[in-house]
Formats: sequence, C-alpha cells, structure tokens
Amino acid sequence: MLQFKQLRYFLVIVLAILASIFLNSGISILILALLSFVALREYLSLLDIRIEDRFGILVSYLSIPFLFYLVWINWYGLFIISIPVYTFLIVPFFIALGGRTRGITFSVGAIDFGLFFFVFCLGHLAYLIAYAPMMAALIIPIIAICDMLARKFPTKHFYYALLSLLIITPILVLVGPLVEIPPLLSLCLSIIIIALVYKGHFTLNAIGEDLGIRPDRLTPGRGLALDSLKAYLYSIPVLFHCLRWILHIGDPK
Amino acid sequence: MKPRVLVQRFFFQPLIKFVFGLNILGRENLKELPQFILISNHNSHLDTLILLSALPCYKIQNTHPLAAKEYFSRNKLLFNFMNWLLQPVWVDRENPSDALAEMQTLIEKGHNLILFPEGSRGEAGVITEFKSGIGRLASNNPDLAIVPAYLEGPERSFPKGTSFPIPLCNHLTISPARLLTGNPQSITEHLHEELMTLAHEEQSARQQRPVPHSKPVHVAILGIDGSGKSTLSRMLAELETQSCCLVSDSIQNYKNGKPCDTQPLLLDSVRKWAGKKAKQAKSLKSYKIPKLTELILRDKLLSDINRWYRPDAVYLDGAPLLNMTAWAVLYKEQFFNRETCIKIIDALTGVSIKKRDPIFKQFPELKTLRKIGNLHKPDVMIFLDVPAEVCISRIESRGEDKQVHETTEKLTRLRDAYLLICDVLAEQAHIIDGNRPLVDVVADATKVVQNEN
Repeated sequence: MLQFKQLRYFLVIVLAILASIFLNSGISILILALLSFVALREYLSLLDIRIEDRFGILVSYLSIPFLFYLVWINWYGLFIISIPVYTFLIVPFFIALGGRTRGITFSVGAIDFGLFFFVFCLGHLAYLIAYAPMMAALIIPIIAICDMLARKFPTKHFYYALLSLLIITPILVLVGPLVEIPPLLSLCLSIIIIALVYKGHFTLNAIGEDLGIRPDRLTPGRGLALDSLKAYLYSIPVLFHCLRWILHIGDPK
Repeated sequence: MKPRVLVQRFFFQPLIKFVFGLNILGRENLKELPQFILISNHNSHLDTLILLSALPCYKIQNTHPLAAKEYFSRNKLLFNFMNWLLQPVWVDRENPSDALAEMQTLIEKGHNLILFPEGSRGEAGVITEFKSGIGRLASNNPDLAIVPAYLEGPERSFPKGTSFPIPLCNHLTISPARLLTGNPQSITEHLHEELMTLAHEEQSARQQRPVPHSKPVHVAILGIDGSGKSTLSRMLAELETQSCCLVSDSIQNYKNGKPCDTQPLLLDSVRKWAGKKAKQAKSLKSYKIPKLTELILRDKLLSDINRWYRPDAVYLDGAPLLNMTAWAVLYKEQFFNRETCIKIIDALTGVSIKKRDPIFKQFPELKTLRKIGNLHKPDVMIFLDVPAEVCISRIESRGEDKQVHETTEKLTRLRDAYLLICDVLAEQAHIIDGNRPLVDVVADATKVVQNEN
C-alpha cells in the first residue's frame, strides 16, 4: 500500500513539472538532477561495494551533471548515447584502476545498472518534463495512479489491469488532445503504461529484495527512493521515445 | 554566535546533509539535555562532523570532541584548522591521563563531550572493545547523562585508509540518555553492550555478494549391514553445529542440529526406486545391477546436494566408492587383495590407469563405471567395526526381511574387505569399535569429526 512518505518523490517530480511550466525548464532539470543524485546515492549505499570501486563511484556521480547539461542544451544525439556509450566505458576503467580484480565484474555490472536506472532513465524524465511539460503533467499523474493500483493489487494481475484500464484510458483519451496527444496514441500509451508499471514493480521488487530493502523500514537512504521511483523510471523512457518518435517532442524548431 | 559555529551551521551541516545524505533518528533525545557525553562507534573521520551536525546550533559552541593529537599534528595547517573549528580535547595516546583531566574540567564547566570509546577508527563496521576512559568519567560524574549513538555509513563513505570521501547515505541513531553509577569497568562494559544492541537493531540490511562456496566436508560412515551406521550418521548430523546434509535412505538437511526444509531432488526419487529393487533381489546376480545403479545415483546426488543445498558438511551413510570396492569381494573374491583394492579406488576416482592393465580384465565393470564418471572420495571415513554375528542378530531383531547378502559368511567377508580398505586409505579412515553402547560410539565418532575439522 502506498504510504505518504512514498509520495515525497512524486511531489518532487510534480514540482519539477510546475517549475518547467511556470518558470524555466532549467530549474526543472536542476531539480531532477538532484533527485537523480539522491536516488543513485541511495542505490550505491545499499550495494555491496568494494573499497576499490570508490574511483568508479566518484566518476559515476560526475555523469549526472554531464547528462543533465546535455538535456539542458537539448543535444539529443549525445544525450541518448552519453550513458550507454561513454559512461559505461569510462566507469569500468576507473573501477579497474582500483587494482583488485576479484569481484570487479559484479561491481561494474551493479554500478552500471545504477547509472542506467537512476541517471539515464531519470534523464529521460527530465527531457520529457523540460520539452513537453504539459504532456508530462498528464502522464506523470497517470503513472502515479497505476503505481498506486499496482501496490494495491500486488498479486491480482487481472484486477490491476482491468481497473487501470478503466480509470486511466478515459482520462488519457479525453485529456490527451488538450496536450496534443491524439486519441489513438493515448489509447496505445495507456496500455503501454499499464504493462510497464507492472513490469517495473515486478523487476524492481526483485532487485530491492536483493538490496535488502524492507517494506516495513522504508526510510531515505534505505530504499525509499528506489521504491517510490520504480514505476516512473521503468515506464518513462519508453513513453518518451514513443512520444518523441510520433510527435517529435524536443526537436529543435 | 561565534564564526566557527556559523561555519559548522552553514557549511558543514548542509554539506553532511546533502552530500552524505544524513538521516538522524532520535534527535529529540538530545534536545532536552542540559549536559551530556555523546558516545558513538568510530570508523571514519566523518564521524565527528556527523555527530556535531546532529546537535542543535546553540549546543555546538559548548561541545568538544576528542581527537588524537599525533594524527592531526602531522599537518600544522590541518591541526590549527581543527583546533579552531572543533576546539577538541587533544588526546596524547602515550599519556591519556592529561586528556582525562581536561575532560573533567570541561564537564565541571558545564560543557558537553563527544567521545569515541573505541579509541581509534579500527576495522570498518566492527565495534571493538571500549577503552576505560568513558567508564571513569561516568563514574566520577554520576549526574551526567550519557547518550549512546550508532553511526552507520561513514565506514563506507570515508573508511580508514582512503584518501577521499564518496557521497553515500549515512544513518545516525541516537538512543535515550542514561545516568550510570558503579565502578568504571562495569559502566564501560554496560555501554559497550548498549551500543552493540543498538547496532544490531539499527543496522541496514544491505545487499551481500555471494561468498565463494568452499567444498563441503564429506564424512562417510562405513560398516556392514546392521552395524548401526544409519543411526550413527543421523546422530552426527544432529550434533553438527554448521549446516549439513545427511544422505541416508533419504536426504535430510540439518541446520544447527535441527532438521530443516529439504527441496526434493528428482535424482533421489530414482535412487530410492533402484534401492527398493535391490532390496527385493533374490540372488546376488539380480542384486548387482540395481545396487550399482543405486550407488552411482547416490554419488551423483552428492554433486546435486553441493549445488542446491550448499551445506558445510555432508554425512554419508556408506560411501558409494568404498561400498563398490568392498562389494568386489562378494563377486570376485579370487582377485580381491590389497593391490587390486588400490587400483579399483584409483580407477573409480579418475586416476589414470593404462588401458591394458589386468584390473580391467579382472573387473570388466570398471570400464563402464569409468565412462559414467568419477566417484567422490570421502574426506573422512569412519568404519564401525562390528562382528558379523552381532550384526545378523541385530538385523533379525528388527524383524525385516533379510537381504540376499545378509548372512554371517558374506558379512564377515565384507567386514574384512572394509578393514582392508581402511588399511589402504589409512589417512582418511578411522576404525571405531561399534559393538559398544551407542553413546560411546557417538562420542568417539564426534571426536574424529572434530579433529578432522
């Protein structure tokens, strides 16, 4: 069940959307960069790191300003390859500089996953919020509803799918045209959201269990960020690419 | 407000909060206290700054941490900066009584102290024994509140031996204050215990990498039918302190001597079926194939057990390798001697033997068995030596159907064969007289297992 403290990170995302709509997209990018730092820090705190991974971890934090700067200047081409190409090649090098080889493959994999999930996927969220804030303002609450339902029905897949479909599809199809999402695309998006939020829960619950996250002891630094953000981070990259492919959001005019 | 307090309040506190993600639990335990000694575990240079940032602003001014003089005096600039920022009580490790006197003066002035009773930073995540200073201070000042706090995270953010900190989450748990009276030693011990309990309760569950699994110790209990090897192997499994697996007629896992859940293995069901067929055999000839199958499957099971259950020890009711070797005496007694016994063991455990060796003519089964794979050689063997007549009487008293080989003559031959094997494998083998009360036998066997470990 959703607890109030788990709404904290949702509210941060809402704040970023509001900042993007009413103030400046730069502020929303800054907010999300900080969120990315907090989430990555929490993930790395829960990971069984070796003392030799410290260089690699320091460099992984540096990838946050790098990526979010690219979002700010709207250099999509480099943004989309920055983590999978450059950071994924640089961080293992710095981990290897640590010296000891035993367990290095595990460290590289685990730290790279953190970068992918908490920096790259959050970068997608930043891109969406910065360049299509109105669409984000519709999609984020929709994901929040699905997230809540997925928590309410952790094992009853059918109820979850049916209820989400009944609740979010009408909202998306009706409100979609107001934020320039055509009704047919809205329908497709609602199905994608339902599937991805569920997959996100399933996958991240498994990872969370291995990281020692206990649902009864969710505090900042002990899994709260990972637990609260799982639905958004799992679904946003796919949604962003759908919208970008079809509606060309974020393209320089 | 003094500039050093402002630096702490507006530079170090936000830095610790935002970069090192400090979460504080039980901050209210410090708020109402007029004067206190804050004690905590010590693993990192960040510890002092973290503890100070948990204090309310007006208390920072009158709070003094302890710091090792010889460590910080190596760099004069750092020493002066620390002296200005924290105003610590400098401890000379060779002459700690001066610091104790200084602390007493500060307490009398109404100031607060931050102490790390472990003395030095030590190994990451380990709380070592406390030094006696805290006990003496508490004993001299019975009205002074002592607040134990547990710090988690600095040992990962900035552990000993590293040159720079990395941003990782830190947790500080402050427990309620205590007023302690008594002699210094008992106070020190009590506080150590309190901090250990706090650490145990508050430690985060983190991801843990799988530790490389060491091969389990295979302990085989040998003996002819009715010698009591099943009973002994079960009792040894129950006495084992680590996790262990008992392979007898069925498989059972034990943890701390208590039977625990055992995931069924498919191979085990097949093995049981083969074992049942062997028990029903009417002649030695029809006994041979099912029994061999059973023994091979039992050996293959050892690999499965290692893979799925990961026990620290495996107790075997009879070892497939040695059972097969000993049984050669019943089928080919004319060839069975010390030399062939060594060769059979070598052949079954995968030691290379020439293809034209006479052993393969004497025992053609070995060729097929070698193709199936190598058998496990137990690390420890215990042979329960019981005369055949005693065994037969025990089997008869059970009231079950006798198996085809359960006659005095055959069991005597088997017993001699086992004794020969024990002689061959003298390094691993231990012979125990099984014709005694069970308690004595178990005591002897336990001693053997403990010595081998």
